[in-house]
Amino acid sequence: MEVVQGILEQFGFDWPKFIAQIIIVLVVYFILAKFAFGPVLAMLEARRKRIEEGEQNVKKIEAELAKAEEKVQAMLDEANKDAERMIAEARDSAEAVRGQKTQEAIKEAQAIIEKAREASRVEHESAMSELKKDFGRLVIDATSKVTGKVLDDEDQTRINQETAGQVSL
Amino acid sequence: MDFNLPILALDSMSPLLAAGGIAAPGLPDLGWFTNSILVAIIVTVAVLLFTRMATKRMETIPGKKQNFVELVIEFLYGQVEGIVGKHVAPKAFPLLATIFIFVITANWFGLIPGVGTVGWGPGKAALTVDAVSTPLLRPATADLNMTLALALVFMVVWFWISVRELGVWGSLVHIFGPKGGLVGALKYALMPIFIFVGLIEVISIAFRPVSLSLRLFGNVFAGESLLSVMGGLGKDIFGLSGFAAFLSSVIFPIPFYFMEILVGALQATVFTLLCAVYIKLSTTHEGEDH
Repeated sequence: MEVVQGILEQFGFDWPKFIAQIIIVLVVYFILAKFAFGPVLAMLEARRKRIEEGEQNVKKIEAELAKAEEKVQAMLDEANKDAERMIAEARDSAEAVRGQKTQEAIKEAQAIIEKAREASRVEHESAMSELKKDFGRLVIDATSKVTGKVLDDEDQTRINQETAGQVSL
Repeated sequence: MDFNLPILALDSMSPLLAAGGIAAPGLPDLGWFTNSILVAIIVTVAVLLFTRMATKRMETIPGKKQNFVELVIEFLYGQVEGIVGKHVAPKAFPLLATIFIFVITANWFGLIPGVGTVGWGPGKAALTVDAVSTPLLRPATADLNMTLALALVFMVVWFWISVRELGVWGSLVHIFGPKGGLVGALKYALMPIFIFVGLIEVISIAFRPVSLSLRLFGNVFAGESLLSVMGGLGKDIFGLSGFAAFLSSVIFPIPFYFMEILVGALQATVFTLLCAVYIKLSTTHEGEDH
C-alpha cells in the first residue's frame, strides 16, 4: 500500500483535495440520479408504453376493420344471393304467368275461332236452308206456271222435299 | 512560485497548458482549493443546470433540450443494459451515466481556450506575465484526485451492487469458489487453486481504482501537455518570435486539438465501459454466461 500511496502522491494525490473531489462526484451522482435520470427514464418508459398502447390500438382497429369488411362482404354476398334468388323467382314467375297467359290466349283464340266457325256454319246452314226454300218456291212457281195448275199444300210440300233432296250445295 | 503579482493574467497564446506541474496547484491564498476543483465545480454546475433546464418540465413531445438529454440517456441506458443485463441495469445506470457525462464534459471543458493559459505567475505589468505558473482553470480530469475520486465512488457502488446481487457469501463464493461447474472429488482437489486464483482476483480488484484513475488522468494530462508543447513548438524549437511565434502557437496544435476531442470521448467511454464490465463480472450468477 505504501508503494501505491507513494505513486499516488507523486502524481499529486492529496487527501483534502481528494475528499473535495469525492464530494463533487457524489453531488453530481445524486442530483443527476434524482433529477435527470429518474424523470427521463420514467418519461421514456411512459412514451414506450404509450407507443405500445398505440400499436395495440392500431392492431385492434385493423382487426375490427377487417371484421367489419368481412361482415360487409358477407352482407353483400347475402344481398347478392337474395337479389339473384329474387330475380330467378321473378323470372320463373314471369315465365309461368307468360305461359299461363299464352295458354289462356290460345284458348280464347281457339274459342273465338270455334265460335266464329260455329256462327259461320249456322249462318251457312241457315243460308242454305233459305236458299233451298227459295229454290223450292221457285220450282213450285215454275211448276205452277208450266203446268198451269194451282198446286195445293201437299204438292208444294212434296215438290219442296224433292227439290231439297236433289239440290246439293 | 512567485505571487508578488497575484493578478489574473494572460500568458502567451499557447493554448491549454496544464501548467503547475503534475499535481494540481491550489489557487493563491485558497489552500486545498485547486484550479481543478474549481473546474470540477463549474462542470458540475453546468451539467446540473443544463439537465435541470431540460427536465424541469418534461413533456411527451420533447423540446430541443429535453430531446437531447433523452437521446443521451436512452443511448447510454441501452449500452449499459447491453453489458450488465436488464436486471442490474437500473441499479448500475445512474452511476455509469454520471461517470460518462461528467468525464466527457470535464475532458472537453479542458479544450476551451483559456483553460490552463489564464492564471497567475511572475510578471512585469498588469495583465501580463512571463509564464503562467498557476493556471486559474485546469481540466478536472487532469487531476489524479478527481479521477481517483471517480474510481473510488465507483468501487463503493460496485461493491454495494455486487453484495446486493449475490450476497456476501455469494460474492465470496463468486471470487474464491470453484468455477466451471466442477463437482465431486475434483472440485475439492482443485480448491487450493481456486482460492489462489481468488486471491489474485482480490489483488486485481484492489488495483482497479488505481488503474482506472491513472489511465484517465494520464491520458488527459498527456493530452494537455502535448497541446502545450505543440503550442510552444515554434518558439522553443524553431526559435520563432513575435507574430510568427504567435501564428505557430495557433497552427501547430490544431491537428492535436481534434485528436484530443476524440481522446476525451474515448477515455470517458473506456472508463465507463470498464466500470460496466466490472459490474457485469461481479454480478453474474453461476451458470450465466461470463
